[in-house]
Amino acid sequence: MRVYLRYAVKETLANLWRNRMMTIAAVLTVAVSLSLVGAALLLKQSAAQASAQWQQGTRVTVWMQPNATASELNNVKTQLATLPIVKDCVFNSQAQDYQEAKRILPQSEWSVLSVSNVPSSFRCVPTVPSNAFVVMSTFKNEPGVYNVTAPEQQIRQMNSAIRILQIVFLALAGVLLLSATVLILNTIRMAIFARRREVSVMKLVGATNWFIRIPYITEGFIQGLLGSLVAVLAVTALHTWYPLHNEFQLDTTALLGTNLVVLVVGVVIGSVGSALAIRRFLDV
Amino acid sequence: MIRFENVSKTYKNGTPALKDISLDIEKGEFVFLVGASGSGKTTFLRLLLREELPDRGRILEAGRDISELSKWRVPYLRRNIGCVFQDFRLLPNKSVFENVAFALEVIGRPRSTIESQVPQILELVGLADKAKNLPGELSGGEQQRVAVARAFVNRPLILLADEPTGNLDPTNSESIMALLERINRTGTTVVMATHDKALVDRMRRRVIELDHGEMVRDQVRGVYGIDEPMEIR
Repeated sequence: MRVYLRYAVKETLANLWRNRMMTIAAVLTVAVSLSLVGAALLLKQSAAQASAQWQQGTRVTVWMQPNATASELNNVKTQLATLPIVKDCVFNSQAQDYQEAKRILPQSEWSVLSVSNVPSSFRCVPTVPSNAFVVMSTFKNEPGVYNVTAPEQQIRQMNSAIRILQIVFLALAGVLLLSATVLILNTIRMAIFARRREVSVMKLVGATNWFIRIPYITEGFIQGLLGSLVAVLAVTALHTWYPLHNEFQLDTTALLGTNLVVLVVGVVIGSVGSALAIRRFLDV
Repeated sequence: MIRFENVSKTYKNGTPALKDISLDIEKGEFVFLVGASGSGKTTFLRLLLREELPDRGRILEAGRDISELSKWRVPYLRRNIGCVFQDFRLLPNKSVFENVAFALEVIGRPRSTIESQVPQILELVGLADKAKNLPGELSGGEQQRVAVARAFVNRPLILLADEPTGNLDPTNSESIMALLERINRTGTTVVMATHDKALVDRMRRRVIELDHGEMVRDQVRGVYGIDEPMEIR
């Protein structure tokens, strides 16, 4: 066993070195395609997280003019309370909204605000999400109302944009992964072809198929592994340095999960590619 | 040791290679397989190595039907069969020692066995002093002796030789034959396909002649053949 281990390691490394240009090509293709896969997975997760955060909160917000009078406020408040399609309403004073703005907006934006020029608002939950649009049209022109916004719409638009982006990413990644597999398959095939004499002698003197196969499979495995390690670095870098709004920022667990997927896919692609290459060549 | 029972083999393109061959080869026998090119000699050897399966009939080696052998056990069958070819089939980038050691390495023999067995067998074939040379630095006869050493280092029960002297001059052919005889005397069954009329006539061993896939002669102490075209002319 120890003899074989030394043999297999020696063979694998020698093959990798002999085909180093092909190896680099294969590793880079795996790296690029898996980076895309990783990025798509991160994107999907942060989009899901962000929209979940938004949706559990207010569905429709009635923003009052900063200078709205008390009677205008009361008018809107009673109307909202009596409207059957509105389930629940919370009033945010100007001070509260100012605090919220301070929390959400970047400093350059909230620093120009003051409590007196921030609108107060009613945060309402409609009975069903689509009723948000009814509330919107009802209150838009009420006196003292500055604007009515329903994030539902934006969330929906953003989600569909993200979904398209994600499909594009995954489609690209799929094509690249396929070409990575073919590249690995080709590298291994070349390695075996270059050594077909040796392989035929091995078979002649009674080497088992696994004995012949393992160094080549390890070679593909290593190519996949190297590629996915590069991709893991890229994905981690993206996660660490790409500036994202709070709601989008994922925790390390999500990153670890993504990286794990990237690693597993890379290793599987390498092994499958080489296994396919060998199947053609080593059939006794 | 080897038994063919009504063995037939036809290749995919329709050419029959062997037709209804039945024969027995005892342990320790030395058998010449003669016949013109395309008479089925090589197919005969390939069937013994289980590189091909017969279409009909059974082939038994050491009492076992080799067509029934599952695929993963074929390598173990081959460990009991040494092979020598006309073109030597040595690995050009490995030294003589490494070429012979390779046969032991790939069947997982430990280093210590290799260190003791390989010099011994190189001594037997008379190449102890060339252990570090590459095959390209040797004469054809020497290369074939390395090939014989590789085939025999594992002490197989059967040694197959496909035209082992085909590329050699008479002197070198003699030395290869002497080597095969010596191996045969250790109890190894030797089956040798050949065109070398002089050798066969001089050795007076069992001769099996194939012609277009049919066995036309099986003679205990035979010569190459009286009905050979060369002779008729």
